[in-house]
Amino acid sequence: MFLRPGLWTGLLPVRTHLSGFFSAGIHSKLTKDGSLIFQSKSTDIHQNLALEDWIETNVDLTNRRLFLLWRSHAAVVIGRHQNPWAECDLGAMWRAGVPLARRRSGGGTVYHDMGNLNLTFFSCRKLYDRQRNLKVVTEALRRARPELDVRATERLDIVLNGKYKISGSASRLSRKASYHHCTLLHSADGSALQSVLRPSTPGIHSNATPSVVSSVTNLTDHAPSLTWEELTQALVQQFNTEFGLSSPLSLLDPSDESLFPGIGCMASELRSWDWTFGKTPKFTIETELSLSDDLTLEHTTAQLHIELKNGLISSIVITVQDQWLQQTLINELCDVLTGERFCPHRVAAAVSTLIKSEQDETQRRLHKLSNTVISVMG
Amino acid sequence: ATRSDFSSLWSIETAAVFVLFVCVPRVWFLNFFKGTLKFTDKHEWVRVEGSIGTVGISNYAQEALGDVVYCGLPEVGQKLEQMEEFGALESVKAASELYSPLTGEVSEINTELAENPGLVNKDCYGEGWLIKMSIEKPEELDGLMDQSAYDKFVKSLED
Repeated sequence: MFLRPGLWTGLLPVRTHLSGFFSAGIHSKLTKDGSLIFQSKSTDIHQNLALEDWIETNVDLTNRRLFLLWRSHAAVVIGRHQNPWAECDLGAMWRAGVPLARRRSGGGTVYHDMGNLNLTFFSCRKLYDRQRNLKVVTEALRRARPELDVRATERLDIVLNGKYKISGSASRLSRKASYHHCTLLHSADGSALQSVLRPSTPGIHSNATPSVVSSVTNLTDHAPSLTWEELTQALVQQFNTEFGLSSPLSLLDPSDESLFPGIGCMASELRSWDWTFGKTPKFTIETELSLSDDLTLEHTTAQLHIELKNGLISSIVITVQDQWLQQTLINELCDVLTGERFCPHRVAAAVSTLIKSEQDETQRRLHKLSNTVISVMG
Repeated sequence: ATRSDFSSLWSIETAAVFVLFVCVPRVWFLNFFKGTLKFTDKHEWVRVEGSIGTVGISNYAQEALGDVVYCGLPEVGQKLEQMEEFGALESVKAASELYSPLTGEVSEINTELAENPGLVNKDCYGEGWLIKMSIEKPEELDGLMDQSAYDKFVKSLED
């Protein structure tokens, strides 16, 4: 991603591109209006993550800091090296229409909705200073509501009253540029958050980066009169104060390909299965399944062992007790599943032919076994 | 001189020629490259040993990164182009991509890093190596920086 050549590296707009002549592009805003603070009009998580990527890749950040404010509709966002099956309930998300996004920065899993504000601090590597960025946030909150006890921790969380987390950070370093982004809980839906941030799948063994679970709270639970307008203004003002600037706030539309050439491609890559699930570090699942025949109610257990690489089943072994189902048929099922995406829809489609080719009790039990394996996938 | 005298002289000379013109240059050649590090401007290093290059990140990079908590490395057999992204490191400070210094094929990955990613910080030029790869285009080495050029490059970044 970083290898895509920058469209320009100085203050001059791209000669061959129309965005150099019309004033709504980010480059013109930087040079003509001296604007360094931006707010995204988009509420789509992938579009906004793509905007971060686009700025990091295409804007010359030498001796410059940029500040981006954005919000997105309900989504779960996992870190670069995390395992979605371990971090969130994919089934619950699917049913609620909550998408999953994997960002390029590290760190843990967060729940976004319109009650959460995301802040991205862009700079060159030399000026990378996360503590100073968080000072912008804590000082802004202190000025807006002096009665609130807000503090940044060593882990670069921001906690309210010493125990409730209202902000978490993650960041990305590339060759010359860097960005540090953080969340800020203004008025997020706490119950929705709790219902999706739990594992889909039992028995996962992996060395993917785990999330550190914290008790969270919203700013508006402690300062109900704090409006979005007031919060935004306080942050803009404090960013200017902290870094000795006088930048206005400008709006950006990241879905406009003419202003952000190539951004559509970046957003598509972030939406792809290969990025979202395929980048999961390899892991294994070791769990026990409970099986019972729906007609005869004959019950048994099975051991399930799956190895996954790049989100695909690289090997699967099922051992059923009591000869509940023929081992040769079970092995056939495993062969069908090997190489498939670890996805309930794909797996259901893959096994349907095998199930249809059987009859009566065998068919019933094979169907039961398949469904039980599928339920493990979240 | 007798014939036997002549033969013994001939074998001494041959041996001398062999040592001077074959062994010494070969030893010199291997010593010259053995342990020699070449650097990219993305702070990766490569050490050539025969036809295999060992790749890691420089001390400047590991310091900037902070404590490494996860190493995302490629599969053995994966073919890489020079400058192609081959993995990523995640540290307490940030996530950072890794770029291949050369064109070649991954022959080995450092499996120690799965359990002990901190080796990248502790011994970035030794036990914290990341991958070994075949060198398909040796001429690419000429385009990389040697130690003194890299030291100058790092100094220019800090200014």
